[in-house]
Amino acid sequence: MLLVVISLFSFLPVIFIFVFATAPGAAIQSLIGAIVLTFSFTGLFASQSVYFNKQWFRFQDMLVASRVSPASYAVGLSVSGLVVALPGVLVALALLLLSGSWTAVGVLLLLATSLLMWIGLVFVGFAIGATTKNARRANSIPQVLSIALGFLPPVYYPLSILPAIAQPFAMLIPTTHAAQLAKYYFGLIMIPGWQVALGWAYLLGFAALMGFLASRRAHWVDP
Amino acid sequence: MEVVRVEGLGKTYPGGTKALEGVSFSIQKGEIFCLLGRNGAGKTTLLRILATQLKPTVGRAFVLGHDVLQDPKAIRPHIAVVPQEARPQMMLSPYDHILYFCLIRGRSRSEARERTRKVMEDLGLWEHRDKLASDLSGGLRQRLIIAMALVADPDVLFLDEPTIGLDPLGRRSVWHMLRELTEKGATILLTTHYLDEAEALADHLLIVDKGRTAFLGTVEEAKGDTGIGMRVIVEPAAGNGSGHAEVLEPKSAEEVLAIVERGLREKRKVTFKPASLEEAFIKIVGESIEVENT
Repeated sequence: MLLVVISLFSFLPVIFIFVFATAPGAAIQSLIGAIVLTFSFTGLFASQSVYFNKQWFRFQDMLVASRVSPASYAVGLSVSGLVVALPGVLVALALLLLSGSWTAVGVLLLLATSLLMWIGLVFVGFAIGATTKNARRANSIPQVLSIALGFLPPVYYPLSILPAIAQPFAMLIPTTHAAQLAKYYFGLIMIPGWQVALGWAYLLGFAALMGFLASRRAHWVDP
Repeated sequence: MEVVRVEGLGKTYPGGTKALEGVSFSIQKGEIFCLLGRNGAGKTTLLRILATQLKPTVGRAFVLGHDVLQDPKAIRPHIAVVPQEARPQMMLSPYDHILYFCLIRGRSRSEARERTRKVMEDLGLWEHRDKLASDLSGGLRQRLIIAMALVADPDVLFLDEPTIGLDPLGRRSVWHMLRELTEKGATILLTTHYLDEAEALADHLLIVDKGRTAFLGTVEEAKGDTGIGMRVIVEPAAGNGSGHAEVLEPKSAEEVLAIVERGLREKRKVTFKPASLEEAFIKIVGESIEVENT
């Protein structure tokens, strides 16, 4: 219960943007960004659970020596983070629906891009958590990455605000693609069809690549 | 019935560190088998290989007849582990910890509740069931970790220094519970630095040093093999305040008699003391270091 309440408070800054932003579409963009990033960070911060279960609590060793399979452990650990973040996502979705500028397809595709982002970053989280050897790094690496993936790239704010020279670099970051797609499906920006296809391909490729990385780095049985 | 069989087991970590080399032994059903050794001797590596958590480099190991490398899934439902330095989740109650670990073993909710209560009562945790783990003492936290493994009611239990941090009474309640488990047919492999613990519990023991077998046998054999089955302490003669007590290790009855006769003749107090496993351990590991140095 405490975690649910905390998850609502962590969402407070976005609500401020929603209430006080005056630029047209800024509030909706920030809400879309908030949903994409809530999914993303939940995936990324799985690294802490992976690290602490393996190195600190040593629960992973206890679970290996049981009927729990590596797949069910991975799914359970990842989804539990998502469940805790769900109240915040529901508040953002409710505000989006209240804003009136939505379609059912738009909402579904927003959730689809966010889920794809979540899957890719869960893999990143497993790769980091399984290879980190001390608690300080386990806490700081995802925080640094969350700045690079969440607060710097145009997720909360429009890509067009960035100088032209910076925009291609922003497009290297997967969360930019997820946010761009979501904004496109909400009718906030117009992008050509090939960019939409590129965005999905980028997210799928990122998830597949990170899945491969996680399979090489995160071990159920240590080598 | 043989529950664990290890044949020429070796482990070299990816970084090149050789942790285990040519270790072979077997454990019979219902035994408590103690692994002893200095820090870094390879005890945890060996235990983790047998608990299917770590892959061996060479040799083979079988638990309940299944190869740890080829068929770990057949082993895992029947074993439980207390890892070294495991800690509970601070924001979770002892009851929830144990209940969840019971549920993941596939028991129904009512069975799990019943079993959780039984284990908590046996380990003196029931009165602390609703506290947060953060409010428990170090000893209670360690007992909680042990309970999380015991709740599985495993056929084979692997414990890596399980009584570290427990007070003497807490240690004895764990010993009692381990003995009860073996009486029901469970087999236990235990690593410990407490040699009194090994002496009290072990049916057989393996002393490893630098990854190699330094001794394999019973506690009595360990004491006997090192020639320190008995110690005789000859106190200084009366009036000789500055003299030191002699500590002797007679190898035969004749030597014992000779020491007693000398004590009577010189009017010195002679006491007999059984050798401890600690003395045997120091001698065995010390000899192993000497062999290496030569």
